[in-house]
Formats: sequence, structure tokens, C-alpha cells
Amino acid sequence: MLDVQKVKQRIAELRKLPGIASKPLSEILEENGFTRRDFLKWSGTMAVALGLPASFAPVVAEAAEVSDRLPVIWLHLAECTGCSESLLRTDAPTIDNLIFNYINLEYHDTIMAAAGWQAEQNFEEAVKKFKGRYILCVEGGVPTKDNGDFLTIGPEAETGLEKVRRTAKDAKAIISVGTCSSFGGIQAAYPNPTGAVGVHKVVNKQVINVPGCPPSDRNIVGTIMYVILFGQLPAVDNFNRPKFAYGLRIHDLCERRGHFDAGEFVEEFGSQEAMNGFCLYKVGCKGPYTFNNCSRERFNQHTSWPVQAGHGCIGCSEPDFWDSMAPYEEPLANHKFESVSADATADKVGITILTIAGVAIAAHAAISAIKNPKE
Amino acid sequence: MKFLKVLGNYLGGIEFSAGYRWQHWIRAISIFALVATGFYIANPYITFGTPSATPTRFLQANIREWHIIFGFAMIGAVLYKTIYFFFFPEAKYERKSILDAFNIKVALQQIGYYLLVSKHPHTKGVYNPLQFWAYTMLYVFFYGIIITGLALYAEVYHQGLGGALYPFAKWVESICGGLAYVRLWHHIFMWLIIIVVFIHIYMAVYNAVFGKNGGMDAIFSGMKWEKEGEEH
Repeated sequence: MLDVQKVKQRIAELRKLPGIASKPLSEILEENGFTRRDFLKWSGTMAVALGLPASFAPVVAEAAEVSDRLPVIWLHLAECTGCSESLLRTDAPTIDNLIFNYINLEYHDTIMAAAGWQAEQNFEEAVKKFKGRYILCVEGGVPTKDNGDFLTIGPEAETGLEKVRRTAKDAKAIISVGTCSSFGGIQAAYPNPTGAVGVHKVVNKQVINVPGCPPSDRNIVGTIMYVILFGQLPAVDNFNRPKFAYGLRIHDLCERRGHFDAGEFVEEFGSQEAMNGFCLYKVGCKGPYTFNNCSRERFNQHTSWPVQAGHGCIGCSEPDFWDSMAPYEEPLANHKFESVSADATADKVGITILTIAGVAIAAHAAISAIKNPKE
Repeated sequence: MKFLKVLGNYLGGIEFSAGYRWQHWIRAISIFALVATGFYIANPYITFGTPSATPTRFLQANIREWHIIFGFAMIGAVLYKTIYFFFFPEAKYERKSILDAFNIKVALQQIGYYLLVSKHPHTKGVYNPLQFWAYTMLYVFFYGIIITGLALYAEVYHQGLGGALYPFAKWVESICGGLAYVRLWHHIFMWLIIIVVFIHIYMAVYNAVFGKNGGMDAIFSGMKWEKEGEEH
């Protein structure tokens, strides 16, 4: 059971640690035009997103206020920065965005003010200064082929492989943000020329995977908040994804689920069925195989998500999804195998074997009829 | 009837018990029902053009329900047959087939019989080596489709049996590399079973045509007949 006392104790411990913000969060919020009421509203939403009872809302607020005591180091490996985009680029400076700026984000390539040698120095200092205390967020896969030479970062040409191993060693918690750092992502797709893998394959510590291409900002912030709130890693499923976000399939909570059960399917995009809001299964929705909370949390401040917009889920939070979920706009029954000589669907192979067997049987039966088997 | 006359002495006996015959036909009907409903689930070939006026249309849900009903019927039949093979006293003739299974000479003679160049070999058990290995593979496919099927089931039905199987489902998912691959294997095992069933039906008909001993009837009546001195 969740213990409010335990969480409060944890926050009290954190309060004793030195923060990095020049002034308390409440003042920063006020200066930026957010009322205390806005802040508590966000806290309530966050508590629910984490699967906590509403009574936890004030505790989440407290956790956010002390979150600057927990430094976060964010590494960019082989990736597109889409996950950072999901986290940061919203249509207005949202309150979670603001808070993320004011948690102790010690190092983040794309959004930090420092550049060049100065950025490098920030990184090295953060790793040293917060040894054993920082939360490491990794965005992007880790190329491992040829000693990881496919990805080098910074003036020393350090490989991503070395950098993530070195940084992970002294991290309090490691969070893989996005499918690339969780499972390798697009660069790990067949034939995976760079030998890209997820972070958990190259470090020997527990890694929390927050996959998605990109994962929603709720899932990223939620996981970080969980670590801050409880001082431990969240409960995870078989692929190390937090259960609060990845416990159910897209399909289980889908707004079009009624149409699925009713047998009402969109046959092609732009059709009358599509206008009726029918189920997108036949135009390739992979919701039935995908564990995520998009159908509940959606994206961009709960505005919309792919299925609402009329395109099926492509299964982006599943391991190996570039290969396992293709083709994206056809049902999985049309899945193609990757093989050396030919691509064929299971059905085609099956029908081919069946045809050969049928022809062979007909020939065998005909010959047997003329020349009876020996008795 | 005028065309009937004495045609030598036949030995007769119960080859297939009632339980055996029931499980065979439950399995057979289930396979056909599961293939039909399974193809619908994979790619729904019946759809509606207009939304239902009242939310009481459950075509996919109904077809899925039948898939599950026949699925569990097939699981029951497969389990019964497995226990029968290993433990039932009357299955000793099936078990004796293992003695021939590794006998290459018998296997080659069996192939020769099908190629119409040699006589049917005398076997110690009821199955010749080719048949024995074909059925062994069929059971590998059965258990493959059952394991992946139960994993898919547990992800849809989280209560009761599904809930009890949930940790098992997660284990299967980890091994396969995600639910999409579990489904893919389920689909591949289906094709393998279809191919075995297709050849099985041909072989049964073939033996009925050329065996001329009412071989096909055994799976209905249980009775096996063989001319004295011609036992296989």
C-alpha cells in the first residue's frame, strides 16, 4: 500500500539537501503568472497520472517544490531529439515545462544555455558534484558495433557507448526516455548496421524504460516525479516499463473500442467509415499489441493522439516496433518477414506450401490410381 | 445384399475408444472453426458500412467469443490426447510406435510404399515412423499455438483465468519479444497445423481407398478390421 508518511519523510529528507534554484518554486511560479491554484491543479493531474489517490495531490506539490534537490543529467545519443520535443515544445509554456526547467536539470544538450567547451565542463562537474545522487535520463540508442565508433560526441570524440557507461556508473536512477534508448529504436531496425541497442544492454544497472516515439510528456515527467516522490524506482512490467503508464494496452482504453467489438472497421482512409469514426484495426492500428496510456493521457496537454486524429497506433512503445509492427497501415496479418531471398507474408508462404502439397497429392493420387500400391 | 459374399477371415477389435473418437472430432471441428474465426480476427473480412443505431452490435466480440470457446475445446482435446498417449493402458499400441520411430529401414520402406515401389512395412505399434514424427510435430505446433493463444487471451481478459495466466502471458511475451510477435507465432503455428491437417486428410483417404479394410471407419465406430495374415 502507498504510504503518505513514507513519502513525506522522503520529502523532508530532500528538503535538507541544498537546492540549486536561487529562490523557492512558489516565487518562481508567481513571477511567471501561475497562481498557487494552477500549481495544485497540475499536482492533482500528476498524482492521477501516476495512479495515486487524489489525496496525494498536496504531496506531489511538495515533491515538485523540492525537486531542485535532485539533479538530472540528460544524455543525447543516437536519436532525433523528438523525446525532448515531446517534453518541452508545447504550444504555451505549460506549468510542467516550467517545473522541468526548474528541477535541477544539470545537463541537457539541446536546451542548456552553455555550448562547446563550457557545456563539456558543465557535464563533467555535474557528474562529479552529484556523484551517486543524479537521475540519468538517456535519449537515443547506443551503437555498439566497432566499439561504438558510429556515434561520437564532443571535442574528445568520446563514443556514446563510453559516455553512457561512465555516466550510468554513478547515477542514482537511470531512465531511458524514448524507444531508442529503451530498445534501440529506428537505428536498431533491420538490418541494424550500427549494432544499436537499448541502454539496459550496455549498463549493468536497472534501467527504467519509458518508450514511445516519442513518449508523452506525462510519462517522462511522471517517471522522474515517481523517483523523486518515493526515492525508488517505479514498479515495472516485463520490459522494464513503469506499470502506471504501460500497464494496459492502447486497445484496452481506446475510444474506438466499441466499434472494434461491433465489427465496424475503417476500410480505407477518407472513406465514409472513417468519417463515422470506426475502428482503425484494418488500416493498421497496432493498439491491440501495444502497451501505453496514449488512449487515456493523449499528447500535447491532453489535446489529441494518433487514433483520435484518424491514424492507427504504430506500436511505438513496443520493443523492435519498426520491424514487428510493419506494415503500419495494414493489419499485422500482412506482416512481411525479413529474409535474405524474399519478403513474403505468412499467408503467402502457407498458401504456397499448401498449393505444392495439393499438386503433389493430386499427382500422387493419380499415379497410385493407375499403379496401385503394393499390398 | 447380392454383392456381398465371404471374403476370407477378418480380425476385428476396438482400435479407438469412445473418448479417443470424441477428442479427435472435437479437435477436428475446433481446428476448422478456429481457422475461420482466426482469419476474421487477423483481418476482419465482414464489416459494416454504417454505425449501429443502438450499441448492441457485437460482431467482432461474438466471433472472438467463438474463437475462445473452440480454443478451449481444442485445449481440452489436446490435453486429453496427451495424457491418453502417455498414461492410458489402451494407448500401449501407440506407445509401441516409438520402437519403430528410430528404425530407418522401416521408415525407408514406408517411403517406398508411398512411392509405390515396396510393400507396406510391418510395424510394432499403430503408427509408422513417418506418421509418428508427423504427429509429434503436430503436437509441437498444438502446444505452440496453445501457449501463444493463452498469452493473447490473458492480455484481453484480465479477470479469472486470464488474471491467473497473466504472469505466464508476460513470460511468453518476453520470450517472443512483444505481443506482436506472440500473435505472429500464433498465426504461423496455425499455418503449420493447416498443412499437417491437409496432408493427414489425404493420407486417411488414401489408406481408405487402397487399404480396403474400412480404415477410415475406425475413427467413427472405433472398429479396426484386418485380414488374417495381413496385419501391418
